[in-house]
Amino acid sequence: MAVDLSMPVLVVDDYKTMIRIIRNLLKQLGFSDVDDAADGTEALGKMREKKYGLVISDWNMEPMTGYELLKEVRSDEGLARTPFIMVTAESKTENVIAAKKAGVNNYIVKPFNAATLKSKIDAVFGE
Amino acid sequence: MSKKSHAKVRAAADGLRKKDDISLVDVLTLAEASISSMKQFVDSLDSKIYSEFREIAEYIQNTKTEIGHLQANDLRSKHIPEAGGELDAVVSSTEEATTKIMECAEAILEADTSDTDAYQQLVNDKVMIIFEACSFQDLTGQRIAKVVETLEHIETRVCRFAAAIGAEDADGAASEKEAKRKKRKEDLILNGPAKKGEGVSQDDVDALLND
Repeated sequence: MAVDLSMPVLVVDDYKTMIRIIRNLLKQLGFSDVDDAADGTEALGKMREKKYGLVISDWNMEPMTGYELLKEVRSDEGLARTPFIMVTAESKTENVIAAKKAGVNNYIVKPFNAATLKSKIDAVFGE
Repeated sequence: MSKKSHAKVRAAADGLRKKDDISLVDVLTLAEASISSMKQFVDSLDSKIYSEFREIAEYIQNTKTEIGHLQANDLRSKHIPEAGGELDAVVSSTEEATTKIMECAEAILEADTSDTDAYQQLVNDKVMIIFEACSFQDLTGQRIAKVVETLEHIETRVCRFAAAIGAEDADGAASEKEAKRKKRKEDLILNGPAKKGEGVSQDDVDALLND
């Protein structure tokens, strides 16, 4: 499946600068419809209002973490199939295993570069 | 009661038991031995209690001195707020610098490249701003050094106090708030960024996901 560059992407991070970095990288990769949310609760609200083709989320946020968001998304029939990439500084094996069990599609360890982001997005969409 | 006085009382009592006819003098002799024995006991008890009270008083005095050395009010009103202020300044200066750098990078990316001279000028200007913005690193280094100094200050005082009173670590959290925070960290696997050399690399993550 080719990556549809016109699909809406939701970036979830409580750090404005990181949102800006990911937005710019996505723009460079050709994505034009990028929204953002500051935590899992806000993201879930936006996901219930608009259908996103991809969610890129941080793990450590308050009140709802990216891990909780992932579990909420996977347990919601209408959202369960949304591709979900975790982009986080949480780099312990237990984090990766928990995210995998919860149904994450890919996992990027911060700090990361544009090539890593591109390769993980491509991998999620089978390119 | 000493062994000697105890034996004296016992001997007087045994003497009375053996007699058929007990006189007032015999009873008084036993009473005298008993009183003498009790007096010795009470005297020794007084001295023991006094000595123990004195030790407790010394301990309280030492603890008060150590509490004074802890300078808790100074820590609370000066050192900790100052350290917090330094960290806030670090956060805002790094954020400010990052924003400046990103604005420059965005301006370069979005610039019109058709006019080569103008584009060259814009790139030069933005690169100069990026260099200037990077000077934040020197200031944040100094601010963080001050915070580390404060932590060492607190560590020295707390360790001295703990050693002076022979404190042992209690189990569990110090407050309900701390217990909640700890539980949230455990439940949601919030380990935070790993130190250099710890944690897994991107290659390790990829391998774990493909297992």
